[in-house]
Amino acid sequence: MIWVPLYDTTQGCSSYVIGDEVTGRAVVVDPLETVGVDNYLLTAQEWGLAISHVLETHVHADHRSVARALAEAVGVEVGLSHRAPVSYPFRPLREGDRLELGQVALEVWETPGHTEDSLSFLVYDRLRAPEPWMVLTGDSLFVGDVGRPDLAVASAEGAEAAAAQQYQSVRRFLSLPDYVEVHPAHYGASACGGLFMSKKPHSTIGYERKFNRLLQISDVEAFVEQQLRLLKPPPEGAARIRGENLGLVVEA
Amino acid sequence: MAVESLNMLWKQVEEGSVVLLDIRPQGAFTEAHVPGAVSAPYSRMGWAPAVRRWLNSQPGGVAVALFGDNRVLVETAKKALEQLDVPVAATFEGGVAAWQAEGLPLVRIPNLTADELVKNLQHWKVIDVREPYEWRSGTIPNALKIPLGELPHRIHELDPKARYAIVCASGNRSQAAAAFLAERGFEVGNLAGGMSVWLGSGHPIERG
Ligand SMILES: [Fe+2]
Repeated sequence: MIWVPLYDTTQGCSSYVIGDEVTGRAVVVDPLETVGVDNYLLTAQEWGLAISHVLETHVHADHRSVARALAEAVGVEVGLSHRAPVSYPFRPLREGDRLELGQVALEVWETPGHTEDSLSFLVYDRLRAPEPWMVLTGDSLFVGDVGRPDLAVASAEGAEAAAAQQYQSVRRFLSLPDYVEVHPAHYGASACGGLFMSKKPHSTIGYERKFNRLLQISDVEAFVEQQLRLLKPPPEGAARIRGENLGLVVEA
Repeated sequence: MAVESLNMLWKQVEEGSVVLLDIRPQGAFTEAHVPGAVSAPYSRMGWAPAVRRWLNSQPGGVAVALFGDNRVLVETAKKALEQLDVPVAATFEGGVAAWQAEGLPLVRIPNLTADELVKNLQHWKVIDVREPYEWRSGTIPNALKIPLGELPHRIHELDPKARYAIVCASGNRSQAAAAFLAERGFEVGNLAGGMSVWLGSGHPIERG
């Protein structure tokens, strides 16, 4: 397997180029405008890969995505949750869908909470084993924290319901073995997380099971209460950025 | 690129007045490439100086053209050469599909998966192009063992009517060997992923 994270170090965003060395096919997950379309094309090329899939874990509200531009440059459609309310044509992804690169494959989990359309991707390398090796958790499970529930909803009740969904979604990761690596869409002081998010971009299920404070809470009400009480201010221009990523015309 | 200039480019490649550098990844080159093209996968790290050194070692008077399947990559590679004062005579960014659509020729080398090869082993002669010390980990039964470097002067040992599956450790050297043989008229396939996939899949091996 080929595994290349690309970061925006100013905002704490992570994106991933994941490739199959046998077939030379690659998937790019959550490509960032600050990294730029050309950089993804050049990175894939340098690892001997051709991009065959462009995916988003969710429609982002904190940073601009280049998923559409990258997908267009390589002649594919962006893969997004079937629940994503975007205005452009895309490839709808559902629970259990599998994306095959060759020996490397991704399996889709729907993990709503941060947004309705939040997805996670289990990553397999069948050259090594039939079991998943890592999970891309998007803005569901972070290193030390979980994704905030309030950026894509209009009301306090909406945020409360989303936080309850997030509780179910993040506890689902606990069904995975301890050795599975955790690769979220953010790290550090990103506005998409809470107060406990680590500067370290990657972790394991076992470490988070034991030391992630929000995974220690085994009661949905206490989890919701904790999440809403510790909310940071929303990222600047969240509604406008999300609107742009949805493909809506946004007035300046 | 206009059709006339495309045909012109192909004529120049054929007669040898233009060297066509294929900047796509090695794997894409092996699957299909223009006859006579040279595989030179673009990278931001040291690619242009390496190309210039190689050109300086070639007979003089040859112009350079670039072949790729993406505008950004072709433009980036072109700029990198021009910064080293290596002029680029022509570029083609349509990839093999657009090249073939113009009726121009390609060398194609099918990728064989380990599962396909094991099922059809009776139809293929296997050439293992790894180094002798690597054969100790096991070889495909009845494989001919010819290290990549020896292939050019041992080509007379091969049967022009046979089909050859080329094998190495990970599928990289076998791509180069397969391209070399295909350009000389042999029918070849490339074991994708090489012996690491063959061994990982638990297929039969022989130890000599
Ligand atoms: Fe987010």
